[in-house]
Amino acid sequence: MASRRMAHDVAIVGMGCTPFRDHWNSSADDLLVQAVRECVGAVPELDLADVDAFWVGTQGSGMSGQTLSRPLRLVGKPVTRVENYCATGSEAFRNAAYAVSSGAYDVVMATGVEKLKDSSFSGLTAVFPPADGTDVDWTAPASFSLLAPAYQRAHGIDDRELRATLTAIAVKNHANGALNERAQFRSAVTAEAVEKSPRIAGPLGVMDCSGVSDGAAAAIIVRAEDAYRYTDKPVFLRGMGFVSGSGAGLANDEYDFTTFPEVVEAARVAYEQAGVVDPASEISLAEVHDCFTPTELVLMEDLGFSSRGQGWKDVLDGRYALDGALPVNTDGGLKSFGHPIGATGLRMMFECYTQLRGEAGERQVADATLAVAQNLGGQPGSCVAFVAVLGNELGPDPRTGRGAA
Amino acid sequence: MADSSEVLDHTTPPGIAAYAAYLPAYVLDDNRLDPDGPARPGRSRSVAAYDEDPVTMAVEAARGLDREPAADGHLFLATTLAPYDAKTSATVVHEALGLAPGIGSIDLRGHRAGATVVDLACRTRSVGAAADVRTTRSGAPDELAQGDAAVAFVGGDPRAAAPLVRATRTVEMLERWRLPGEVHDRIWDERFTAELLVGAATEAVAEALTAAQVDAVDAVDVVVVSSSNARAATALRKRLGGDGADATVEAQTGFTGAAHPGLLLADALDRAEPGQLLLLVSATDGADVTLFRVGDGVREARGAATVADQLARRQRIGYGRFLRWRGLLDVQGPARPASAAPAAPPMHRRRSWKYRLEGVRCDACGSVTTPPGPACASCGSLDGGKPVSLRDREARVVSVTQDRLTTMPEAEVALVVADVDGGGRLTAYATDVVAADVAVGHRMRPTFRRLWTTDAIHNYFWKLRPWEEDTDGE
Repeated sequence: MASRRMAHDVAIVGMGCTPFRDHWNSSADDLLVQAVRECVGAVPELDLADVDAFWVGTQGSGMSGQTLSRPLRLVGKPVTRVENYCATGSEAFRNAAYAVSSGAYDVVMATGVEKLKDSSFSGLTAVFPPADGTDVDWTAPASFSLLAPAYQRAHGIDDRELRATLTAIAVKNHANGALNERAQFRSAVTAEAVEKSPRIAGPLGVMDCSGVSDGAAAAIIVRAEDAYRYTDKPVFLRGMGFVSGSGAGLANDEYDFTTFPEVVEAARVAYEQAGVVDPASEISLAEVHDCFTPTELVLMEDLGFSSRGQGWKDVLDGRYALDGALPVNTDGGLKSFGHPIGATGLRMMFECYTQLRGEAGERQVADATLAVAQNLGGQPGSCVAFVAVLGNELGPDPRTGRGAA
Repeated sequence: MADSSEVLDHTTPPGIAAYAAYLPAYVLDDNRLDPDGPARPGRSRSVAAYDEDPVTMAVEAARGLDREPAADGHLFLATTLAPYDAKTSATVVHEALGLAPGIGSIDLRGHRAGATVVDLACRTRSVGAAADVRTTRSGAPDELAQGDAAVAFVGGDPRAAAPLVRATRTVEMLERWRLPGEVHDRIWDERFTAELLVGAATEAVAEALTAAQVDAVDAVDVVVVSSSNARAATALRKRLGGDGADATVEAQTGFTGAAHPGLLLADALDRAEPGQLLLLVSATDGADVTLFRVGDGVREARGAATVADQLARRQRIGYGRFLRWRGLLDVQGPARPASAAPAAPPMHRRRSWKYRLEGVRCDACGSVTTPPGPACASCGSLDGGKPVSLRDREARVVSVTQDRLTTMPEAEVALVVADVDGGGRLTAYATDVVAADVAVGHRMRPTFRRLWTTDAIHNYFWKLRPWEEDTDGE
C-alpha cells in the first residue's frame, strides 16, 4: 500500500482560464480553444505542437478525447477524456501529471471545460445510466445541505449561529470575486442579500450556492527539472491525493454528515507528500470546493485549517478572509467565480498558480509560498475528493530531506 | 332461472382469516374555490397523498395481514383506477408483499369488484385487496362524497367472519361510468339508478335471509350497506335498519369505490362481537349480499389500526393543495427535468430492494448494507450475506433537508437520511408530513409509494413517514 510522491516532480509552467460566464455565444469548443490559446500564449518557448499529450475533463459537455482534438484539429496526438463528477478538472490535471512524471512525455496539457448554460434548467442536471428508480433524485444543494443540521447537532450551534457562518462564507467569497475580472459574479453582496435570497434546499438559499456557468481552463505541465526552461516562475506540485469514496456513508449507519472522510484522506496523502505537518500554519492560501456554503465550513475542518467544531468560529472571526491568517477562495471560489464542472479543478489551480507567482493584483496574498487546491464531487457520504499542495519552490523532498531539481 | 343464493358448505368453511383497512393520511372538508363563499359543513372525504395510487394503498393495507394465502391461492386487486391498462397491476402488489411466485395475481375492475374481491378471497383462500382513488370535476355536487381508501382480506379459516349465505343480482344499467383514460365518473340521474339498485338489493337480501332461515332482517345484528349511489345507500340503510355506523364512516371518507364495501365491512368487524350475524350489502351494477357470522378471533384478525382510529388521526388538507395533487390545477413548478424513468431489467434484478426493501446482512461482519450490493459497505467482504427486510422497522433521522426545487406537486419535500433499527441506512423521501417539521432524531417508518411517473412508467419505491404508535392496543 502506497501513495507516493511521483518518481519525478512536476511543475506547471503555463495556464489559461476563460472568464466564467453565461457564455451565450460560445460553445464548449470555443471555450476550450480560448483557454488553450491563453495557456500556450503564456509560454513563449512553446507551441501547441510541442505538447506531447493532452487530457480533457468534462462532466457532460463532450465524449472522448475528441472533445479537445476536434476543436483544436490536433493531428496525431493522444487525448484522454476524463470524468470524475465535480472533481473532473483536477482529474485531468492528476493524470497529465503522472504521464509527464513517468517520462512517457515531456510536455503535457490538462484541460477542463463545461458548457452548462445551453440548458434551461435551474442548477445542474446529469444523465445517469438506466436504473431501478430507487435513488432519491437529489438536487445538488439538497444533498449538500444535509451537512448543516448534522454539523449543528454535532457541535451544538443554533440556527442563528449557523446562518451567520454560512452568510459570512458567501459574503467573503463574493467580496473576493468582486476583485476578479474573470469571476462570474463581480460584485460584493451584503449579508442581507444572502439571507433574503429564495430558499432552495433546507437552510440554503440561492446565495448559498455556487454559480452555474460556462468556462474552460488549461495547464501545461512539465517535469520539475525542465520547468525553468519555460518560465522563471514555475509552480511546483508538492503533493497530491485523490480518493474515490466507497459510498458507505449512504449505505450503512456509520457516517454522520459532519465531514468528508474522502477529503480527510486525500489531504493526509497530499500533506505527507508535501511535508506539511501543520496545514493551519504552513499553508499560505487555499482554493476549496465551496459548491455550497456549508461545504466550505466543513472543509475548513477536514483540511486541518480549523479544529473540529471550531470552523464556524474561525469563519466568523475572519480567519479565512482575504486579509485573514489563511485566505480561502481568494478568486471568489465556486460561489462567485462560478462552477463549470469540468473546468473548476483547473480554475482552482489557476488561482494558486497566479498567487504563487505573485500576479494576483488586488487579491495577492503576501508571501504566498504554499497553496492548497481542493476539489470534490458527488455528495456528502458518497464523494470523490482531490487535494493538491502547490508551491513556488520545489522544496525539500520529504522522502530524503534533500532539495530536488 | 335458478335461485342465485348459495348456502355454503360448512364442512370446509372458508371465511375471512385476516383483514386490514388503510385510510390515507388526509381529509378534505372544504371544497370552496372561493374561501370567502358560504361554507357547506358536514361532509368530508378521504384524500390519498400525491404519491399514492391503488397499488400503493393496497400494499399498505395488505402488509399488516398476518395470514398467508393458500398455496394454490391468488392475489386479487380490485380497483376502478388501475395505474396501468393492459399490464397487470396486482403483480406489483404481489412483489411488494413478497408472496410466493405460485400465488396468482389477478386484477378485478369495475365498482362491483369491491364486493366480488371479498367473496373470491374467501372462496379461494386468497388475498383480496381493493383500493381506489376517486376524483370528480372541481365543484361537482358529490366532490366531497367520493374518497380514497384501501382494504385487504385473507381468506381461510373464519377467524374474523364466516360467510353463511350469499345472494346476488346482476342488473345492467348505466349508473357510473367512464371511458378508458378518463378519471372522473360520468353519472346518470341518480334517482333512476337508485330505484334499480334498491330493487336489486332488496331482492337479494330477501333471498339470502330466506336461504339462511333468518326470519327477518331484525334478527341480523349488524347491517352494512355500500352503494355507488348515495340515494340508494340511504334508502337501503333505512329499509334494513342498520345502526348508521356505515353512513357515519362514509360521511368522513366519501364513497371509496371498489374499496368501499370492504372498508365498511372492516369498520363493522372492528366493533362486532363474536357470534353476531353481519349482513353486507353492496349495491352497484346490481347487488351482492353476504350474511356472515362473526368469528371468535375477530379481534386478532385485524391487521391494522381500526378504521375509527385511522379516521381520527388524519390531517386536513386545503382545497388548492388537493387540486394540485390530483392534477386538477396546473401549478408552475421549478425549471427542473422530470426524474428519470426506471428501466425494466434493473427493476427486475433489484426487485427485492425496490419492492420489498430488503438490504443484505454481511455474513462476515453482520452489518447491513443498503441498497444491497456485491460488497459489504462496512468491511468490504465480497462473500455475500443474507437478505434482511427493513420494511417494518423503525428508522431514525440522521440528517434532513427540504428540497424546494422538487418536481413533485408540493412547494417543498423533505429528504432524509435515516438509520434503520438493527442496521442499514435509508436515503429517502419523507411523506405524510410537513417537510419543515422533520428533524434529526425523528422516528420514521417505511411506506410504499409511487415516486413519480415518467415516460408512462410508474416508479414505485419506499418512502419514510412519521412513526405512529398504535393507539388501539395492538
